[in-house]
Amino acid sequence: MKMDEQKIRNIGISAHIDSGKTTLTERILFYTKRIHAIHDVKGKDGVGATMDSMELEKERGITIASAATYCEWNGHEINIIDTPGHVDFTIEVERSLRVLDGAILVLCAVGGVQSQSITVDMQMKRYKVPCIAFINKCDRSGANPFRVIGQLKSKLGHNAVAMQIPIGLENEAEGVVDLVAMKALYFDGDNGEIIRTEEIPQKYREEAKAKRDELIDAASLFSDELTEAILEEKAITPELLYAAVRKGTLQRGITPVYMGSAYKNKAIQPLLDGVTRLLPCPSEVENVALDMEKNEEPVILKNDPDLPIVALAFKLEDGQYGQLTYIRVYQGTVAKGSTIVNIRNGKKVKVGRVARMHADQMEEVEYLQAGYIGALFGIECSSGDTFVSQGINLTMTSMYVPKPVISLAIVPKDNKSQMAMSKALNRFSKEDPTFKTFVDPETNETIIEGMGELHLDIYVERMKREYNAEVTTGNPRVAYRETITQRADFNYTHKKQTGGSGQFGRIAGYLEPISDAEFVFENKIFGGAIPTQYIPACEKGFKQSMEKGPKLEFPITGVKVVINDGASHSVDSSDMAFQAAARGAFKEAYLRAKPVIHEPIMKVVVETPPEFQGPVMGLLNQRRGMIVGSQDEGVLCSIEAQMPLAEMFGFSTVLRSSTQGKAQFTMEFAHYRQVPQSIAEKIALEVAQNKKSAA
Amino acid sequence: MLKKEIKYRNPLTNLGYEHEDILPNGGFGAILAHAGVGKTALLVQIALNTMIREESALHLSLQDAVSKVDVWYQELFQNIAGKFSDAEAQEYWDKIQPYRFIMTFRVESFSAANFEERLTDLMQQNIFKPHTVLIDGLKFDEAGRGQMVLLKELAKKYSMRVWFTVHEHRNEAPAENGLPVSFLHVADLFDVMVQLEAKGDEVYINSLKGKSSSAKPHTLRLDPATMLIKSVK
Repeated sequence: MKMDEQKIRNIGISAHIDSGKTTLTERILFYTKRIHAIHDVKGKDGVGATMDSMELEKERGITIASAATYCEWNGHEINIIDTPGHVDFTIEVERSLRVLDGAILVLCAVGGVQSQSITVDMQMKRYKVPCIAFINKCDRSGANPFRVIGQLKSKLGHNAVAMQIPIGLENEAEGVVDLVAMKALYFDGDNGEIIRTEEIPQKYREEAKAKRDELIDAASLFSDELTEAILEEKAITPELLYAAVRKGTLQRGITPVYMGSAYKNKAIQPLLDGVTRLLPCPSEVENVALDMEKNEEPVILKNDPDLPIVALAFKLEDGQYGQLTYIRVYQGTVAKGSTIVNIRNGKKVKVGRVARMHADQMEEVEYLQAGYIGALFGIECSSGDTFVSQGINLTMTSMYVPKPVISLAIVPKDNKSQMAMSKALNRFSKEDPTFKTFVDPETNETIIEGMGELHLDIYVERMKREYNAEVTTGNPRVAYRETITQRADFNYTHKKQTGGSGQFGRIAGYLEPISDAEFVFENKIFGGAIPTQYIPACEKGFKQSMEKGPKLEFPITGVKVVINDGASHSVDSSDMAFQAAARGAFKEAYLRAKPVIHEPIMKVVVETPPEFQGPVMGLLNQRRGMIVGSQDEGVLCSIEAQMPLAEMFGFSTVLRSSTQGKAQFTMEFAHYRQVPQSIAEKIALEVAQNKKSAA
Repeated sequence: MLKKEIKYRNPLTNLGYEHEDILPNGGFGAILAHAGVGKTALLVQIALNTMIREESALHLSLQDAVSKVDVWYQELFQNIAGKFSDAEAQEYWDKIQPYRFIMTFRVESFSAANFEERLTDLMQQNIFKPHTVLIDGLKFDEAGRGQMVLLKELAKKYSMRVWFTVHEHRNEAPAENGLPVSFLHVADLFDVMVQLEAKGDEVYINSLKGKSSSAKPHTLRLDPATMLIKSVK
């Protein structure tokens, strides 16, 4: 295993669904000789793309879990994480970005910057991942890479500059002009593997010169040498220009844009050159851990293989080789036989086999050094756990995990399925922090929770395919919440005398709404009306009450409880009595605090040809949606709306049938909002009916 | 309370435009300024003052994406709602937001006919019927008088009031009456005109046409950081 840290690139490939990133990855693997034949997504040969290792991914033509692989290009080692495109799986994207040093943002030359690209871009910003863009599908009808560059600027705020211009578009796409070398590149051979370099055709010369000037102009902001060369009218060497673009890219001040067609094998090799030339090596990226011993003080990690280990488990997989834990080593060296500590639970773990992954095949290695991505075998941990050397107490910053917004009841068909189901659920919830599962104590049903219909759908399918667990599913349920809207006082006494020592506790105070926290408890008791030792019991009692509203039984949020008086009894008061008193007090005040139901509101973006704009708006409007706006994008128009999740079930089918299948939409959680009175009444009725049928 | 605050801070009524609609049915209003002085911010304040009266404002942008326009509203609203609690501000925003619709066009594809087509899409399905339309980024020299006359007819047909931003070019000397030369050919179609002017670190708003009360000042000072009125000069 070669170990020149300067020549490592850990990159991700992120984009909107269907913009061709899996196809692109396939081509990259082919040109870097990791695979010897090209199989297409939804290909006729039935093999499927290499990175789509899950059966289901092959069938649906989408990438669900990110698979990791590595390849070599021009003496550089590139670790690639292929990331899913659908918004329901963004936790995978987030986790990938967390461990990456750079990314290729793939955009469709026709669709341009679509809603999911905006989400992915926000995530890249959050983790400060430098990126280069690749405008794919230049062979498609309607392709216009410069329109997409304009959108990168206007919609995403990138300082996007073309590194190439296309030689022909749509079905005349032949190659690209390299604006740094000022040469025309053509891609010959059955799979575009032979690069033919020629002079720029006459008709593209002027455009190439103008675009090169734009590139030099943008890059000069990051290099004094380049500015000097421009002012002194010296020749601008490729090295000088690349160095300036690279500096700008690493600062996220510039986004170099490459273009081509993965499917038609055009211009993938120059993109790989771009990855090695412009994206950072691990030591050029600042990674910060938190020191648990110093009140989570940030510590900058050094990409040094000789320092103590700091590594992050960013993905778990249950594959043909047992449990696989994907890790990124930030500092030190994780070697076979070494001992590492899981910082979350303090457990010491002995490292068994260490491997590098190539989709679902593995390549065993002796060790993984700082800067590398690889996998460990047989280590019990959860996604997001930090592993360190013994004696240090650092944790990688926790990853942002959104809360689930939808749930589904699942029932196994038989005993065998029951066993398989629990095994599968255990695995899935470890792999994916946005996927949660629990048993409803009242109905005894197993409930799964996630980020959208498709998210849960995929897990149900995976249960069947990978674990042979046949399950039937109920109707999806929305994660409603309750909150209060006004202050209400309580003064409640819990008194019970049933022989032996009794129970006594009195609590007085008030509830009031708060907007920036789920629950706040404040003790304003002076003079010991409630003895100090019972205060935690009071808090516990109120907290328990928050789990389920007294009437509709949805979780309660946004409540501040203040206690200011009470009474106790020297014999009959106990923790239990005060917990019960708190529950009683909460119940007493809650209904007077005017509770309301809140529902999850989703940000929905529909992309449709302009001729279907009217019907699409109508569909959104019928579903209690509030249309925020409509955006004209030439061949497409996108409509942004805020929609209640409850109204979005089955929307994809209706949308398809109303637009001849030409529109698509993405949906992500935006916020919670109070449901209108008429809907609240309906929900209350449904809850009552469900309770009746459960009884 | 927040409604009062927005109303109180309305730069146009403070400048002496007393009728709450300011423009008549089918009327045109213009906000003239150089680039970067705050035309969009003032346009958004006009929209907010429409929304608080529970009248619908259609914001039509020919330069920015929906999300960017939305950020303008969020910022202006937050600046005005600064002294109110988050919950109160959010509740009021949720109440008035349905009275706003953002529509964007690419400059080259905008025309009165295209606009009418999109507008009827919205109105026929009862999704949105604008009371006031705010058009940001129209290039008057390129649009020509013909398009403006068609827009005027459209405004009358659907009883709308239309506000425009007018970009004054720094390298273009104004006409004798102080208006940009590129705007002169359509200036007569406008009922109200106000001008934003940056002087040093300060921004002033001047009334040029259509003022109903002469008692109010002719010029107001705006806070360049928030674009809200600062004091009466």
